[in-house]
Amino acid sequence: MLPDQFIQFIVLGPGLAALIAGLFQRFIGDRGAMVVTTATVGLAGIFSLYQLFAYAAGAGGAGHVEHASLAADTGAATSYVGQHIIHLITWMDVGGFKADWAIRVDAMSIVMMAVITGVSGLVHLYSWGYMADDPHKARFFSYLSLFTFAMLMLVTADNFIQLFFGWEGVGLASYLLIGFWYHKDAPNDAAIKAFVTNRVGDFGLALGIMAVFLVFGSVEFGPVLTAIKENAEVVPLALAEAGAVREVVVPFLAWDIPALELIGVLLFIGAMGKSAQFFLHVWLPDAMEGPTPVSALIHAATMVTAGVYLVCLVSPIYEYAPFAASMIALIGAVTALYAATVGMAQNDIKRVIAYSTCSQLGYMFFAAGIGAYEAAMFHLFTHAFFKALLFLGAGSVIHGAHHEQDMRNMGGFARYMPLTYGAMMIGTIAIIGLGIPHVWGLSGFFSKDAIIETAFAAGTNGVPFAQLAFWFGIVAALLTSFYSWRLIYMTFHGPRAEPHHDEAHAHDDHGHGHHHGDPHESPLVMLIPLGVLSVGAVFGGWYFYDAFVGHDYKEFWDGAIYAAKENTVLKDKYNVPEWVFWAPLIVTVTGFVIATFTYLFNRGVGQRIADSGGPLHGLFANKWYFDELYNATLVRGSAWLGDLFKIGDKKVVDGIGPDGVASLVRWSSRRLSAMHTGYLYHYAFVIIGAALVFGAILFWRSGGAG
Amino acid sequence: MDFPILSAVTFLPLAGAILILLIRALTGAQMRPDGSEDDRVLYAGLLFSIATFVVSVVMFLSFDTSGTGYQLVEEVDWFAGVKYKMGVDGMSVLLILLTTLLTPIALIASIGSIKHRLTEYVVSFLILETFMIGVFCALDLVVFYVFFEAGLIPMFIVIGVWGGVDRIYASFKFFLYTLLGSLFMLAAVVYMYLTAGTSDVVVLEQFEFSKSAQIWLWLAFFSSFAVKLPMWPVHTWLPDAHVQAPTAGSVILAAVLLKMGGYGFLRFNLPMFPDASLFFQPFVFVVSVVAIVYASLVAWRQTDMKKLIAYSSVAHMGFVTLGIFSFTEIGVQGAIFQMLSHGLISGALFLIVGVVYDRMHTRDISAYGGLVHRMPVYASFFMLFTMANVGLPGTSGFVGEILTMVGAFQANTWAAAGAALGVIFSAVYMLTLYRRTVFGEITNPELDTIQDVNTKELICLVPLAFGTILLGILPNLIFDITRESSLHALAQMAGG
Repeated sequence: MLPDQFIQFIVLGPGLAALIAGLFQRFIGDRGAMVVTTATVGLAGIFSLYQLFAYAAGAGGAGHVEHASLAADTGAATSYVGQHIIHLITWMDVGGFKADWAIRVDAMSIVMMAVITGVSGLVHLYSWGYMADDPHKARFFSYLSLFTFAMLMLVTADNFIQLFFGWEGVGLASYLLIGFWYHKDAPNDAAIKAFVTNRVGDFGLALGIMAVFLVFGSVEFGPVLTAIKENAEVVPLALAEAGAVREVVVPFLAWDIPALELIGVLLFIGAMGKSAQFFLHVWLPDAMEGPTPVSALIHAATMVTAGVYLVCLVSPIYEYAPFAASMIALIGAVTALYAATVGMAQNDIKRVIAYSTCSQLGYMFFAAGIGAYEAAMFHLFTHAFFKALLFLGAGSVIHGAHHEQDMRNMGGFARYMPLTYGAMMIGTIAIIGLGIPHVWGLSGFFSKDAIIETAFAAGTNGVPFAQLAFWFGIVAALLTSFYSWRLIYMTFHGPRAEPHHDEAHAHDDHGHGHHHGDPHESPLVMLIPLGVLSVGAVFGGWYFYDAFVGHDYKEFWDGAIYAAKENTVLKDKYNVPEWVFWAPLIVTVTGFVIATFTYLFNRGVGQRIADSGGPLHGLFANKWYFDELYNATLVRGSAWLGDLFKIGDKKVVDGIGPDGVASLVRWSSRRLSAMHTGYLYHYAFVIIGAALVFGAILFWRSGGAG
Repeated sequence: MDFPILSAVTFLPLAGAILILLIRALTGAQMRPDGSEDDRVLYAGLLFSIATFVVSVVMFLSFDTSGTGYQLVEEVDWFAGVKYKMGVDGMSVLLILLTTLLTPIALIASIGSIKHRLTEYVVSFLILETFMIGVFCALDLVVFYVFFEAGLIPMFIVIGVWGGVDRIYASFKFFLYTLLGSLFMLAAVVYMYLTAGTSDVVVLEQFEFSKSAQIWLWLAFFSSFAVKLPMWPVHTWLPDAHVQAPTAGSVILAAVLLKMGGYGFLRFNLPMFPDASLFFQPFVFVVSVVAIVYASLVAWRQTDMKKLIAYSSVAHMGFVTLGIFSFTEIGVQGAIFQMLSHGLISGALFLIVGVVYDRMHTRDISAYGGLVHRMPVYASFFMLFTMANVGLPGTSGFVGEILTMVGAFQANTWAAAGAALGVIFSAVYMLTLYRRTVFGEITNPELDTIQDVNTKELICLVPLAFGTILLGILPNLIFDITRESSLHALAQMAGG
């Protein structure tokens, strides 16, 4: 394993780089800022990937001895053998509410560190090309590194409070980067929408953390999760009776709820916000207003998976909170299907991929909800490669096509940008999960099929909503294949569309105007990341299958993910009927065939369907009218309340209070006499009088002197 | 008796004020050829406030942070059993430091923006500083009352003389509200003195008032502190006072004067009337949550920058009362922290508004937009304090909010959930403000030539930014100092 200094560099280095790039840009220049951030994050990426490979190799049987010595080597306190915590400094310690700044190293964080710094390093490099013409490069790279730092703090936290720090920190970075082109309206609106929607989720997360503290008297993962695993006796600080933790019931608002269910649901609300799940997904498509490298890093590969990470991290809670877990399964399944339907009807290349992300996150969540946390983490891992690849590929298209994002204005790009086309093809084949069961496939095949098989197995075991999740997952797989191929055909195949610019869709604009002319291939700094990610998208699933969800999963996760004794879905996935293995392949090919007939051979069918204005297409194209609904109710409602209160302040509170007193004085002074002339004296007089009357009433009410 | 350092900190600004007035009486006002008063007097005042800060740091260093009870106590008989008694605990030491830090910053911020009656202006601030420090030092009810009420006058004058167009309305409103509460408190002070035979705070903390008496006394004190804090619905003086007050006045008002309310609750209501405090807990929770949600929504709908931040103050003070009346160590520590943190953040936000007000002479949000193109440094500071006000972890704003909510959650989940709603709304109004003023294109041609922050403004903002981040990352620096005071405030609750 890596020595502590290296791990500290991985986590803290990007933060330092962000500070240097942000504060000293004046002295080191744009180039200096780019070099500092890219080098730091790139180096951190190499370390983390080495760490992951070494760890996975160690977990695979022979290396197990080395792996078991992880904790012994470093001699630090651990709550289970596969965990090593580096305590940096105490953050706060108030009345038992204790949180340290710390770095937790275990299987979960090793996987996440590799994903975050790996993708982030590549995105930094890619941005050298993509942002070459932007006047604010230092700011951009500073934000990117800041994001990387916050995300690393999130995944290496050893307590809920540091996790919350990272959680909101990535929210800040996301806000800053979505609104990076701050002179324009759309990015500004999208940035605020993202931050506020996430805050709605954080409302749940914060309450969940409060509930954790109430029940356990601690917000550190170690004590909390151990107590649940051992069903230990806990003594809630207030409101509830002591008892075995799985039986404790706490009052919340008007209800009495089992503590773990309450915590589980509240934490999941936080996860829904960050991971753009159904009801709180509305910000993610709008977040595409940010520069495309940002979409790849934050809104596809890393930040949006934080919710999945959280759910898997606290797996002991959900193992004993069946209601909360089934809620996750349901919401996840609905999101997977919902986002796929909307993805079919979008014309902006980035929005198609955004909805695809949303849908894939749905898969991860329902996997976690049915108890296959390992499968969820596996899909998170492979998804990071192929989704980052797709986004960076889309960025390359946009870059090469002079900031055109509307696929209706594309077509035939394959011959102008063959390398980008190749990368996008790999990404597409990976995301649709093409592969021959029992033989081989691309990374999406391994992870997505693992989810679908576990869902079926869980359904057989009677896990709530697992059967539904399985069928939704199958249908969504068909739609995924369809919209992914639709994207490829609309962009790269067929005749080239007449170049005309529809301003409403040309978002990704650096502000240096539109160049006209043929699309062109992107520079090498942008193609190298595509190449590296392609390798991951092809081989990632195959290489890590055994470690994540295959035979070695117990050794690999090593206690970082917990499953109750009754939860055997991961093993049962081998025992599903043969057709379940083949179903994903069949629907994937079906989706491919439909897309090929409608968008390759009969180009224009899709357009005709859109133009015919059918209700279903309208529903999908308008994202099921969520924005309209929220605007009409929540946004307008709060604004109305705000206006009402604002007027109320002036008319009611002031009217009865000072203004009322003032006019009363004015009135009585006119009426009663002209004796008093000093204004202040009038006021004071009335107040004293009122005080006496008020006091007398209260005195009398309380029973008088007797 | 040791050197009376508390009296020294308290009366040093007053001494400065008297000296300045004497010199002024001897030499007459020093006028410049253009008719404005020579600002050397301001530098003289600044010198005294910085000296006060230095002395307060010395006081802080001689304060034993691990000790219990009141320290550095000074005691002199005054009249009829009333003593001039001063003493501090961890909470008051930090509030004094906040006061002595913010006063010089307020005076620096006034350089160049106050032109007329400069001597009176400086003297008002110095006298105000004396009264504010006195409030936090006083350990005798009568002495406290005198400082508490006297502080009203210089602030009243600052708003009424150097304020905006509607300054008279605002200052009277300010005076009226505060006076209303004070009269009740005066009655309570007299009653307590007659019943307990002393006005010594330390003795009164141990004195057990009957439950019905506690109810009355609690209400009397509450009415005064609730206005000061301010709590809903007696908050409407604050937006008007802020809008009309000069920048420095707003800074002091938001950063220090409001804290007297929270301080009062912890120093008097909880330890002296524990039964009544318990009795009124649900009431305070309701009012606090209403304040948080209501003020946040109203803040969102404002068109005036200062009003928006004023309403945001009301919401943030809601967290303070929520934490105090959770009667948990976490909640009370969080409330004290929130007061200090809000002192830094709201002070900074009013300075931020002052920066553009000095250049454009308007606080109307719609007059701005696109400032980032001309004022990148300003935009960075504004972003930092926006995020701090929103309660982003890593800034001090987060620590106070989360701890008060954690405390409240243990007492009443409704209260915590309601307060957490405010966390959503704070993002709405602050980000909307930031977007409308700083982001976007420059639409107002007058902004084309606006200058970024100058050295004077940097000197004001940097210490506050530093404090906001330091306390956000290492809040334990504060908790170690305030632990004893919060346990002390709760000691009677547990016993009663």
